[in-house]
Amino acid sequence: MAAKKAAPKKLSLAPVLDLNEAQALHGKLMGLRGSGVVIDASAVERVGTLCVQVLMAGAKSWEADSQAFTFSKVSDAFAKTTQLIGVNIDHLMAKEI
Amino acid sequence: MDMNEIKEIFFQECEEQLAELESGLLRLNDGDRDPETVNAVFRAVHSIKGGAGAFGLDDLVSFAHVFETTLDCVRSNRLEPTQDVLKVMLKSADVLADLTNVARDGGSVDQARSKQLIRELEALANGEAPPAAEAPAAKAPAAKAPAPKAAAPAPAPVPNEEGFVPVTFSFDDFGGEEEEVIMVAPTYEISFKPKSDLYSKGNEAALLLRDLSRLGEMSIHCNMDALPSLEQMDPEAAYFSWKISITSDKGEDAIRAVFEFAEWDCELEITTAEDTSAEAGEELPMQPVPFDLSILDEEPAGPIGIAEEEEQIAAAAVSAAEVASNVVQIASAASRAPAETKAAAAPAAAAAQNTAQAASAAGQTIRVDLDRVDRLINLVGELVINQAMLSQSVIENDANGTSSINMGLEELQQLTREIQDSVMAIRAQPVKPVFQRMARTVREIADITGKSVRLITEGENTEVDKTVIDKLAEPLTHMIRNAVDHGLEMPEKRIAQGKNPEGTVRLTAKHRSGRIVIELADDGAGINREKVRQKAIDNDLIAADANLSDEEIDNLIFHAGFSTADKVSDLSGRGVGMDVVKRSIQALGGRINISSKPGQGSVFTMSLPLTLAVLDGMVVTVAGQTLVVPLTAIVETLQPEASAIHSFGASQRLISIRNSFCPLVDVGRILNFRATQANPVEGVALLVESEGGGQRALMVDAIQGQRQVVIKSLEANYTHVPGIAAATILGDGRVALILDVDAVVSASRGQPLKPEISLAAAG
Repeated sequence: MAAKKAAPKKLSLAPVLDLNEAQALHGKLMGLRGSGVVIDASAVERVGTLCVQVLMAGAKSWEADSQAFTFSKVSDAFAKTTQLIGVNIDHLMAKEI
Repeated sequence: MDMNEIKEIFFQECEEQLAELESGLLRLNDGDRDPETVNAVFRAVHSIKGGAGAFGLDDLVSFAHVFETTLDCVRSNRLEPTQDVLKVMLKSADVLADLTNVARDGGSVDQARSKQLIRELEALANGEAPPAAEAPAAKAPAAKAPAPKAAAPAPAPVPNEEGFVPVTFSFDDFGGEEEEVIMVAPTYEISFKPKSDLYSKGNEAALLLRDLSRLGEMSIHCNMDALPSLEQMDPEAAYFSWKISITSDKGEDAIRAVFEFAEWDCELEITTAEDTSAEAGEELPMQPVPFDLSILDEEPAGPIGIAEEEEQIAAAAVSAAEVASNVVQIASAASRAPAETKAAAAPAAAAAQNTAQAASAAGQTIRVDLDRVDRLINLVGELVINQAMLSQSVIENDANGTSSINMGLEELQQLTREIQDSVMAIRAQPVKPVFQRMARTVREIADITGKSVRLITEGENTEVDKTVIDKLAEPLTHMIRNAVDHGLEMPEKRIAQGKNPEGTVRLTAKHRSGRIVIELADDGAGINREKVRQKAIDNDLIAADANLSDEEIDNLIFHAGFSTADKVSDLSGRGVGMDVVKRSIQALGGRINISSKPGQGSVFTMSLPLTLAVLDGMVVTVAGQTLVVPLTAIVETLQPEASAIHSFGASQRLISIRNSFCPLVDVGRILNFRATQANPVEGVALLVESEGGGQRALMVDAIQGQRQVVIKSLEANYTHVPGIAAATILGDGRVALILDVDAVVSASRGQPLKPEISLAAAG
């Protein structure tokens, strides 16, 4: 499949991922369907449950497509929030270095 | 938007909440045991507390808090809402309203009263009997009991099934020794499933979980099974749910307190670990939650302090979301508040912002300045006149106008009509708020006079123009005071007369022939006609030998400077009662009647126009003048035949309509448009129904047509004219007078138009 060969696209997350951002994030992810995606969450200062839901739904959909869905970098806030709400993203962390 | 505006909005919302609170309490008082009613009451107090906290209104917060605590006992079925309990609560609602008013307008409240109520509320929350003999009972135990701290949401003690009442107990007392206390803290299993509303109202599950994690050692499992694929998901809906296991010595109430502001928007189950050990077989992969989550706070200050701060802010946010109107402002108030207190808890502020967003999405109502609506109504009025003028000039200039123009005009007329109706609907409001205010008046007067009174309201949802509602409160308050103070007897006397010691005041609103009729009935002694008559003679209002009918005597109480009260009390008896009432009602274009039966009570009936802006009228000609007769008054129109006209007495004439006789009233003669009576056969008879009951046939010369007219006040632009209610501008630009049908009818009964006027002028 052509899509599989395509280089993974990058998505840098906004610093504040609150309710306002959930829709936008959903839109951005939808726009990236079809190819692998690498998410940079290093700038995230605050993330709400809704955005985590969107990201997790994304991970699920990408997995269904057998496409790569990984986090390249995550900020401390992002990591702690996901841990707090019991969402494990370890398996989504980029493996290489 | 400055702080004052935000505050003003908060107070407006307080008013709504207070109304909600009162109506809820009254429903409970009537035996309604619906949990939703209790919840609504609780929410109202809770929202006021939350908002007040954001504005630093400490008095309000502390009172609301105690109130809320007691309500919580009712909500959790720990306190039976008996009549006595509700009496205290209704009083508390009054004090809460007072505190709100003081917070808004300045002034002072009756400190003793609010303190007394705080004691009573606390006593109730502590499971003590409602204070039947309140003063001594409340003092002794309350003084010893540790006063709950206003700021900390102290969970109310729970009397268990055996009726034992636990002593109020604060963990704060243990202070620093907390770690040293060797105690196996219980483990709670929490199942937390947010609904989408939780997020849309600006709450954030992550923040709740963070607060929860501060209570003890916690591990969590997030259930993502409900999460659909990216394509199918709604990014703002709730899909995650959690199973949480927390070991905490803070107690279940502390856990519940975390979810306090979200509990209506989530499914929450809290069980202790022992309870669930049976089903513990399903091992969920729990993820431990690190205790240090300070990174999630922007400012790593003492976690507890912040948590409290946030709680209040969140409260403001939630309260705002709950009313779902103008939340934008309140939410920004909330988000501003932390900035000012420098305890800027970013997540909470974000929550507030979220609320703002959510609300703008949910917004079902908007608050509009009344001035704007009035301007719109005025403009629509002008539009109606203009449209009439246009139709008229088309007809005049082009007698056989092309059908397209006529159709266009007709459509325009229909549209204008619809616009007008819609605009009117904007201003129409139920009379409920006014009626609710009366409930308080009744309570207070009953308290002062020592009478026992029950207020029954009916037809609260009857809608009437806002301007009418605003002006209704004052006369109604006067009348209610009179009814309780003068109308109802003391309980002993009532018992002696075989009546229920509790007096009843019934307030009814209904629509009747295009007007709103408000009835105030009491089951008291009725008007003491002998006394009224004597008083009137003493005050030189009537001659000592005047021969008055019962009705006329009753109506004497509407004279200025008339009062039968022997003593001037705080309540009434200054003689500025009923005449003021009558004047206010008349100023509204309304009428007031009284009917009284000795020993059975009095009924005051007010009839008011639904709107003060437009009316449907029949345009008629009388002696060369153009008059408008309100359509609502007209039952039918007919062309009298000579055979149907019968003379009666010297100058009266009757018309026979379908085998019944109806007095014929020559409008031109009554209004002094002509000196002699017109020939009925040459004119048209309008059969009208008047307030006083009974039908009359009004004689006019001809009917020009039927149209909607915009009312222009005659009093404001000229002066009052007897028999004329107002004026209007017709399509051709001429002024036409709107007939006051009732005045004309009563004039035809032999009461000349004059006295009514002199009374109004004197009053």
